[in-house]
Amino acid sequence: MAQPLTIALPKGRLTDDALGFLARAGYAVPANGDGGRKLVLDGADGRLRFIMVKPSDVPVFVEYGAADVGVAGLDVVRESERDVYEPLHLPFGYCRLAVAGPADRADLSLRLERNPRVATKFPRLTEAYFRKRGVAAELIVMSGSVELAPLVGLADLIVDLVQTGTTLRENGLAEIRTILESRAVLIANRASYRLRATEVRELIDALANVMRET
Amino acid sequence: MSARNQSTDRPLPEGVRDLLFADTAAFRGMEASLQATWSAWGYREISLPTFEYADTLATDVGAAVDAEMYRFFDRHGRTLALRPDMTIPTARVVGTRLFDQPMPLRLAYVGSVFRYEPPRAGRQHEFTQAGVELIGAPGAVADAESIALAVASLRAVGVPAFRITVGHVGFFRGLLAALDLPERLASRLQNAVDRKAEAELALLLAEAASLPPIARSAVLTLPRLTGDAAVLAAAESICLNTTMMQAIFDLHGLADLLRAYGVEDAISYDLAEVRDLDYYTGITFEGFAPGLGFSLVSGGRYDDLIGHFGPPLPAVGWALTLDRVMLARELQGICAEEPRSDVLLSADVWAACPQWAAQARLLGVKVEIDPLGLDPQALWQAALARGIRRIVYGPDLNHLTVRDAAGMRGVSADEWQEVTRWLNR
Repeated sequence: MAQPLTIALPKGRLTDDALGFLARAGYAVPANGDGGRKLVLDGADGRLRFIMVKPSDVPVFVEYGAADVGVAGLDVVRESERDVYEPLHLPFGYCRLAVAGPADRADLSLRLERNPRVATKFPRLTEAYFRKRGVAAELIVMSGSVELAPLVGLADLIVDLVQTGTTLRENGLAEIRTILESRAVLIANRASYRLRATEVRELIDALANVMRET
Repeated sequence: MSARNQSTDRPLPEGVRDLLFADTAAFRGMEASLQATWSAWGYREISLPTFEYADTLATDVGAAVDAEMYRFFDRHGRTLALRPDMTIPTARVVGTRLFDQPMPLRLAYVGSVFRYEPPRAGRQHEFTQAGVELIGAPGAVADAESIALAVASLRAVGVPAFRITVGHVGFFRGLLAALDLPERLASRLQNAVDRKAEAELALLLAEAASLPPIARSAVLTLPRLTGDAAVLAAAESICLNTTMMQAIFDLHGLADLLRAYGVEDAISYDLAEVRDLDYYTGITFEGFAPGLGFSLVSGGRYDDLIGHFGPPLPAVGWALTLDRVMLARELQGICAEEPRSDVLLSADVWAACPQWAAQARLLGVKVEIDPLGLDPQALWQAALARGIRRIVYGPDLNHLTVRDAAGMRGVSADEWQEVTRWLNR
């Protein structure tokens, strides 16, 4: 009757780190998490079932209980505003959500901008950030290549994830402010946290142990 | 194409939906089961207005529900609102009209409530809540009755597997009082506990440097206080003041009573549940079913609410969302059945048909009379198309023909034993 716990993993940048981390915590993980085309993979030890989803979809899968737990960037979790538990911050996927603008932009405080056009993939966090400072930003919601927007005059500023800053620099952009320091987090469904309490607790403790050892 | 086969687009406003036959029948069935259960426990149902003055409904509900209310104006320009839940209207009725009645009062309700909240798991802006309130009784016996009735009600509406998680606001409130943190830090702590963010707790503690070790370890233990009745013992060991001790004492008493009710298998405990901390004054609980990520039922003790409308009275109660119960049942393999009649009756050649139908209906047989004058073959096809399992036609009372999947046979109109058998098939 021991059904595996379903874990939603983000396809892409975090996949290998997440799988590696789970493996170190003693869970059997599929060999080719990212390379394969299968979207549902079973761990050989029957403790976890892996579903591979688009990073921004992880919180939805978990909120609805389609996955009991999941790994997602804190940026994605905050942007989604989904009602999930986030028991653990994981030691990978470090990056920051930052406001950036043209490197030659005048040294003007963001608060003094009139109504800047801001291109982003994170409309909620962007809106909240500017609104909190009393600035009526005009959001331009994009699904990729946000750095392009200021170059072609589509936007004055961008809000995007920055890991090293290389992409920004190569496109003549500079970071202005950090909105959120992000990293991978383990999230859990509110019902699963209770109905599968033993297994979820086991997973949290196993991952926390790996973190303590390193 | 004929006009019959065309439809016109007519959009519905966001957040509302129609229920068709099987679903409506299932809702009515669940309501009937709930009413039977409540009534067996001595609860009496009241009907409440769909809208009231917004001021009344916004009393002490907290900003969350306030922002979710549908508001509009009456012709005098006063602000009205559709009820966002049933507990507040119930508290108003009790506080203004029933406060001097013999206590305790056991009240029940079922009806639509309205909230601007993103549709989640079967809950649109309009959804159906059913609930009970036990008013005028403080203490664990009333708390246990409320929870045991929630278990009985979920069983009555046909959810095979579920679990109710019980917490107590006193435990976390006591902890906050003992920690005596600056307000900002306290609210960040509550927020982190609400998200079960264990790692954040450690970081927050780093900011509160002056806390004694015993308080630190209490905070760090908090997220682990989730599970069966054994967590109560674990929680006991980290109590920092009498508020926390009292909460655990209450829960121990409650656990004993729930064992006496025989429902302990459906119960777990969560002392780190801090949602609606301002609204509740004692125990809180939420019910979950496998596969449905959202709670089916939630409730608790709120001794301060009725005092907003009249003399203060202790109260404990819960509400369940029928729309989610439907989903939970489907996830566990229980499908709503399409309602259908037992017999389709030809009126064509048989003058006594209405009388015969009336008698059959008295026996509980669902009888439809064919209004289209179909011949027996067409009548049989019409019955099949609508899931009706048998037809009956003339030529006269002594020579009726019954046709079903097994074939045709003759019966006389007064063979009521035969007719009663149709009921169960």
